[in-house]
Amino acid sequence: MKSINEKDIHSFVDAVSGFFAQFAEEKVEIRAAYLVEGAIKPSTFELTSYITLSGDYSGRVYFSAPRALIAHLLLMMQEPNRNDDRLLDAVGEIANTISGNARKHFGETMEISVPSTEVTETGWLDTVVSPRSYVILVKWKQYRASVVVDIQRA
Amino acid sequence: MNESQSIFSKYRKIILAVIIFVVCDLMVIGINFYGTFKAQEAAVSINLSGRQRMLSQRMTKVLLLIRRSVDTNDEPSVLRNLKELDLTVNLFNTTLRGFRDGAMVTGGDGNPVFLVQVETPKSHQLVADAYKIWDPYFNLLQPLLGNNRHFSAEQLESVVTYAQNNNLEVLRLMNDLTTDLEFVANGRADFLRMVLLAGFIIALINFSYTVFISIRQLMATDRELAQARGETIEILSTVHEGLFLLDKEKRLGSQFSESLPRLLHREIEPGMNFLPILKDMISAETYESAVDYIELLLGDRVKEALVTSLNPLTNVSVSLSDSIGNTQNRYLSFFFNRVLIDDKISHVLVTVQDVTDKIELMQQAEQAKNQAKTEVDTLLRLAGNDFGSLQQFVFNVGQSLGQINEKLSEPIDDPRSRQHTLNYIMRLVHGIKGEAAVLGIDAIEGYAHSCEQEMVAMREGNTELSGEHMVRIAVLLEGFYSRYSSLNNIVSNLSAAMGGQEKIAAAAQADRPAEVALPFVEHITHLAQRIASDRGKQVEVNCQVAKFAILPANITKELESISIQLVRNALTHGIESPEERATLNKPQTGALCLFCEYLGNNLYDFTVRDDGRGIVPDRLRDQLVKSGRMTVQEAATMDNLEVTRMIFQPGFSTASDSADINAGHGVGLDAVLEKVKGMNGRLSVKSRPDLFTEFHIQFSVPQ
Repeated sequence: MKSINEKDIHSFVDAVSGFFAQFAEEKVEIRAAYLVEGAIKPSTFELTSYITLSGDYSGRVYFSAPRALIAHLLLMMQEPNRNDDRLLDAVGEIANTISGNARKHFGETMEISVPSTEVTETGWLDTVVSPRSYVILVKWKQYRASVVVDIQRA
Repeated sequence: MNESQSIFSKYRKIILAVIIFVVCDLMVIGINFYGTFKAQEAAVSINLSGRQRMLSQRMTKVLLLIRRSVDTNDEPSVLRNLKELDLTVNLFNTTLRGFRDGAMVTGGDGNPVFLVQVETPKSHQLVADAYKIWDPYFNLLQPLLGNNRHFSAEQLESVVTYAQNNNLEVLRLMNDLTTDLEFVANGRADFLRMVLLAGFIIALINFSYTVFISIRQLMATDRELAQARGETIEILSTVHEGLFLLDKEKRLGSQFSESLPRLLHREIEPGMNFLPILKDMISAETYESAVDYIELLLGDRVKEALVTSLNPLTNVSVSLSDSIGNTQNRYLSFFFNRVLIDDKISHVLVTVQDVTDKIELMQQAEQAKNQAKTEVDTLLRLAGNDFGSLQQFVFNVGQSLGQINEKLSEPIDDPRSRQHTLNYIMRLVHGIKGEAAVLGIDAIEGYAHSCEQEMVAMREGNTELSGEHMVRIAVLLEGFYSRYSSLNNIVSNLSAAMGGQEKIAAAAQADRPAEVALPFVEHITHLAQRIASDRGKQVEVNCQVAKFAILPANITKELESISIQLVRNALTHGIESPEERATLNKPQTGALCLFCEYLGNNLYDFTVRDDGRGIVPDRLRDQLVKSGRMTVQEAATMDNLEVTRMIFQPGFSTASDSADINAGHGVGLDAVLEKVKGMNGRLSVKSRPDLFTEFHIQFSVPQ
């Protein structure tokens, strides 16, 4: 069975990186990449967005970041309004970019939901279901964020 | 038939316009022809009508001349004038009759001509009035006609008198008739002009309409063509397969899919000959078959369906070179279909697909199937002989993978820290590889080896270690977990079948039974013999490790792991080939000893000794320089002890073949040292060139 590969993972991380490069003139850097296994859980921050995929692969791809990161991003985008709704919109935009890249990478046969956003608690993401999902910890400026690839071949 | 209907339907308006044009032209020509004919008739009538005027005057004149000649007895003149009278009367009479009834008359040029009956009521009336005068006139003339000289003077006088009395009236009537005929002729000429003008206008309108329809049709056709071309281009730019047409000279058509150059890894130009392209990619034998096959398809001697199965270019391995000369092996499938026009073969449509993924998946599936079989055989063997070791191995692998994952989850921002992480992971992977080798679990050993190779490439690559490298390691780890899960499931099922989970736990836990040392001896001996056999060497293993049985399990585990590495090193680097040993006056079979001794005061010594070529400092210096770790000068300034210590540095290896699963990747002694440190032990090495190498590990075990 063909499982998710490195290119698939990079398609999601590159989308995030591309978003920051476009709107904040600075790419994100990968700090760590690991698997959700045993006691090792995926990190989450205060704002989380995700898309749901179905088709050849199914599952979710999450992007989670602290409020400060998204506020800083909005500041750089010269967005005066930085209330919670706008922050969630911005984090949803990042998921939307991930969705666009996923569509390009996996092809039109992949069904991808519209992005969902949530205010979460910093800690562990407990909705991951796939065995050994990938967690990519990234850094933008001094902030940390995470991309969780919780998909498996259908 | 359908094609004709289709063409008529498509060009219906143009065809109708042309038909109308032709019909109008024919009508105008017909009317013109008729008008011309009528004009000719009118000209004759007008001409003869005019002649009637002249004849009426000539008759009067001739009668008067006859009377004068009679009076003067000029007989010749009488006769001559009688003759002229006869001609004139006859001509006048037949012409007048022609005007009334239509008849053949003598024309102006003396030739017979048909004089048509007058048409208008006025002309009819004039002719009728003329007859009212002419009929008595003609009767009075009868005695003088036929050149008859025997008329009486009274007869002559009466006709002369009648002529004189009616001459002007006849002249007027003939004059009026001429005028009326001219009027009719003019009217007809006007009509004809109108018809011609109308015909010209209709023709002009029709022409304009035809041009309009034609241009509109052409524009519609152009639009359809542009749309069709657009759709073709869209298809050719979207489709993943390579699509192109081959003509009978095996040249590519003018259009081909955008993916074709990518699939064939080369620039493609319309009109290129396909055969040289093909020749560059495939073996000579396949090429010959392919040429024959294409020839068959382009010929019309065989049916396409009959030869499809002969296509030698399905799932064919191709060698593709890119613009910078890198060669890549892929699998392509070429499908050929005849293109028929009017039942004649015009081209062959070629479809190219990259089936590399499919073929590799099939190969992987086959490989996995074979591997699984080997694996199951191994596991069954182990289950029969040493199930405890197998369970311990699974337990250890799980733990090592967990440690790797934990390490990977630590955020790192600098390449140096990533280097440390990589070294740490490589040591754990190396340990797994060693343990798998001892038990003969090839799938885990092979995968660990390929991971090791990849990580060595990362460590020794030109680029600094980045986050992307960490993603790659995570993917490698997932592959490890995948294999581990399968193995774990099998072992769990086997253990359940063999008597329950308690037995596994008992075997895998720290306080293992004393007899575990015996399987270790068996495994380590087996490993040594296998490596020796792989490398064309001979070895005799003397393993005195009974003390392992009384040591704590964690210590034993580490010693076993160290043993695996040192045995592997001894066979790879130490013990020579039988031929080499013979030249050194050594026994052809090398000696490999493992001893574990109690030294007293809770202190133990574990020794691994081989009688191979020993550690040669100069050889180590060469290797350090070759690997780029130091310059010749730096290596030369180091003393032998310092150089020997370098063998414990991460990344140091004297092996030349990195593809050799038993060769070092610069991980082994680094890992050994780490383990000894973990035991709070002390590692020392003694060696003499061409005689022996001896590793001593001293450690204490608290009571």
